[in-house]
Amino acid sequence: MSGARNEILAAAGGASTDPAAIAAAAARLLDRVPGLRPDRVSGRPADAFLLRASSPAMGATAERVASLADFPAAVRRYLAAWTLAPALALQPHPALRALDWTGIEIHEAIGLDEPVAAGLALGGIAETGSLVFHSGPDAPTLFGFLPVHHIVAVEADRIWPWLEDYAAAFAPASQPRNVNLITGASGTTDIEGALVRGAHGPGHLHIVLVDPDPAPPHPDFPATTIAKSI
Amino acid sequence: MTTTAFTVRADRALADPQLKLAIERTTGTARTKRAAAVAAWPEFAAARMLGKDIKDHVIAHLGHYLAEFERNALASGAKVHWARNAREACDIVVSICRDAGARSVTRAKSMLGEEIGLPHALADAGIERVETDLAEHIIQLAGDPPSHIVWPALHKTREQVGELFRAHHRDPGAMATVEAMVASARRHLRGRFMAADVGISGANFLIADSGAVCTVTNEGNAELTTTPPRVHIVTAGIEKLVPSTAHAMSLLRLLVRSATGAELTQYTTFHRGPKRAGDPDGPSEFHIVLVDNGRTRMLTDGLADMLRCLRCGACLNHCVVFRQIGGHAYGGTYPGPMGAVLTPVLDGLPLSQDLPRACTLNGQCQEVCPVAIPLPTLLRGWRDRSWREGLEPVSVRGFLGIWRFLVLHPALYRLATAAALPAMRLFGRGGWIGWMPLAGGWTRHRDLPQPSGRSFMAQTRNRKPSA
Amino acid sequence: MSSAAADAPRVGLFVTCLVDSIRPSIGFAAIALLEAAGCRVDIPRRQTCCGQPALNSGDRDGAASIAQHTIALLEPYDHVVVPSGSCAATIRVHYPELFEPGTAWHARAVSVANRTYELLSYLSDIRRWVPEGVGMAAIATYHDSCSGLRELGIEAQPRRLLAGVAGLSLRKLEGSDTCCGFGGTFCVKYPAISNAIVEEKAAHIEAAGADILLGGDLGCLMNMAGKLHRQGSRVRAYHAAEVLAGMAGGPAIGG
Repeated sequence: MSGARNEILAAAGGASTDPAAIAAAAARLLDRVPGLRPDRVSGRPADAFLLRASSPAMGATAERVASLADFPAAVRRYLAAWTLAPALALQPHPALRALDWTGIEIHEAIGLDEPVAAGLALGGIAETGSLVFHSGPDAPTLFGFLPVHHIVAVEADRIWPWLEDYAAAFAPASQPRNVNLITGASGTTDIEGALVRGAHGPGHLHIVLVDPDPAPPHPDFPATTIAKSI
Repeated sequence: MTTTAFTVRADRALADPQLKLAIERTTGTARTKRAAAVAAWPEFAAARMLGKDIKDHVIAHLGHYLAEFERNALASGAKVHWARNAREACDIVVSICRDAGARSVTRAKSMLGEEIGLPHALADAGIERVETDLAEHIIQLAGDPPSHIVWPALHKTREQVGELFRAHHRDPGAMATVEAMVASARRHLRGRFMAADVGISGANFLIADSGAVCTVTNEGNAELTTTPPRVHIVTAGIEKLVPSTAHAMSLLRLLVRSATGAELTQYTTFHRGPKRAGDPDGPSEFHIVLVDNGRTRMLTDGLADMLRCLRCGACLNHCVVFRQIGGHAYGGTYPGPMGAVLTPVLDGLPLSQDLPRACTLNGQCQEVCPVAIPLPTLLRGWRDRSWREGLEPVSVRGFLGIWRFLVLHPALYRLATAAALPAMRLFGRGGWIGWMPLAGGWTRHRDLPQPSGRSFMAQTRNRKPSA
Repeated sequence: MSSAAADAPRVGLFVTCLVDSIRPSIGFAAIALLEAAGCRVDIPRRQTCCGQPALNSGDRDGAASIAQHTIALLEPYDHVVVPSGSCAATIRVHYPELFEPGTAWHARAVSVANRTYELLSYLSDIRRWVPEGVGMAAIATYHDSCSGLRELGIEAQPRRLLAGVAGLSLRKLEGSDTCCGFGGTFCVKYPAISNAIVEEKAAHIEAAGADILLGGDLGCLMNMAGKLHRQGSRVRAYHAAEVLAGMAGGPAIGG
């Protein structure tokens, strides 16, 4: 086994003669990034995020609420709009547990075909409209994958403008077991290239941006919308 | 024109109108979406050069980054294994499965897994394999190899998928729409995720400074494959390294747009080690198998450029040859232009010598490649080697030898032309030649314009240079 | 047309082996156009083929010996002009690759390569020539041959020149930048695949609703015209140079 390791490392070449120089060269490559990213983020990251997250290509819906305390009400509206039973798997996050879920049956074990799960993302990325989840005691990985409908709250002051800004926020050693950037609802194009949602993961993703200090309503995006996703 | 295993497969593909329809439906959509994504990104050309430079930097310091990755992966609690070739890689995976007492494994799509023949190795070891990617599920039911690196079941029309599912699914329901087919597969596979002992996946990027493995998927099957089982095994080619997460982000922008035209895949995942204290889910064991299988040889064989490949599939979608014959005709794991470069590395040139030749060198693959791999140049390299090693058919060598002699002796060339043109004209009618000896390859499918008279050089023999 | 100025460039016309044997009129059109654009045109007598069949078959030694032969006969000229994108690209892009950098032959290959142009781009980019008094009442569509398009960047030039032909209207060809399936030796080594590709091309040409198909490479034009004729199409094919020189009155490629 170590024979294979040493043989491959020797054949690969470029072994570390001057690690600092290699690191400097790698860093210099990234200097070019800001000038050549697609023009996606202007203004407040939270506004750009909301626009991307609710764009038709994403297969998700989004709305804005003023405080996390409003999240259960948003969930109730969503369940009503979809005529779903008032029951859901709640991500075991203290901030979510502390909310008033009156009228909704809450459980923390998630089933294989859980109709609805509600969760709290660690943050979001404006450039791509992605939600960021870090696995941990309050964030089981499977919560993002087992439900049919996934309703996710994310706080406006935790929206990073670009993918690189998210990457820079966590030193390598502090990264969790599992990072998921979730960008829209599950989809597949495996049959004739036709896009179908809900392949194995959630077919419906609803994002609730918790934004106490919103910018004036964007003409393309009213303050509160509930649209049925496709 | 010689009949080979390749031309037999190509002829079979060309005779299948369903296949042509299936290829065009998927690659046509992919081309349109990619073009729109690139058009919406004015800095694409500069970003493509950055992508190229990032990969070139890693390839130039591959040993350094491999060692750094290993160090950080071990620190995260991962077990790191090294495999020189496909057999070693399969042996490692099978032995991990055996140690785990695995009866059933789930697998998320990985072209490296196909490259090393993992499906066969698991079957030989008596381990049940459940493919969870929709396309891989389709071809597992059909008993087919993949025909595209992004859409492995690209060769199946929706009608054919519907028939397969009706025959194999427990609860197929009506198969009237693609939506119904996807729903049926979801129902069929749901229980299998939780029942598996081991989950196996691939890697799009190996992050050197964190030891994380990055995968990009759209369906959600990958997390369902890698999270519930007690053991998660990643098989990864050693060229997948990048220095950091930030470097991966630059490449992700290029990869996803080039593959599907989306800005980012639905699920962009970084796996880093096994389940930690307090984690409600995740595997207790996390293994990474780093596979060489010809890659370090490519460094010294003039194929280092090919190690940049992100496996986006754009070169396949834009290749006029792939679009006519599909993936299976290529006979290797990787089809299309990138496959025509890689298959001789993996299977040897004698078995795959047709692939570099069955290319019009039109250059569109290089144009759409998100990391600017000079695919036509690499294919020419294989042709050169094929010639040097005497693999070119004797008839072709003989014909080219005579032709070269004439080309280097203009007086004889003129005589040969002067003799050939009237002879050709004998076969013509109304300006066209419908059949002629030695021109069957051309005239079987199209007419050949009749030479209009004496050659240009003969007609201008007494012309004086313009004053 | 022998009124070239004293500073007129001496142009060596490399007609290509296909034009030489199959359709000399393209060579005559090239002479007329180059003279009209103020060049002194000579036809190097020892020219044969640029060597593409050897190059594309992997016979690098053969290709190099043909390159040496061709370089020697083209060296005396200020410019070398070729009525084909793929043959021009062979000289301009691939000849230097055949020789070890630092050798005398490499230097000679680079020198000739830097002075070699495809005809239509030469007329438009270097000579800044525009057609005058040329007319052709027809609807045309244009196929971009791949070598010219991707190795030499020829796309706008032929369209710019053809726009100056009175009465000629140009219709977009869907997939005009997609290979026609000719590929030199490819079309005889893999005829069935080549045929499937050109079938698709022919369908697009028919769908463009044009009377004539134009292009800058005889090989590709023969492939497409031969398929169109086999299918009974009424679309006729010409090299763009023939139209620009006002010499498209005669029979089309294949008649």
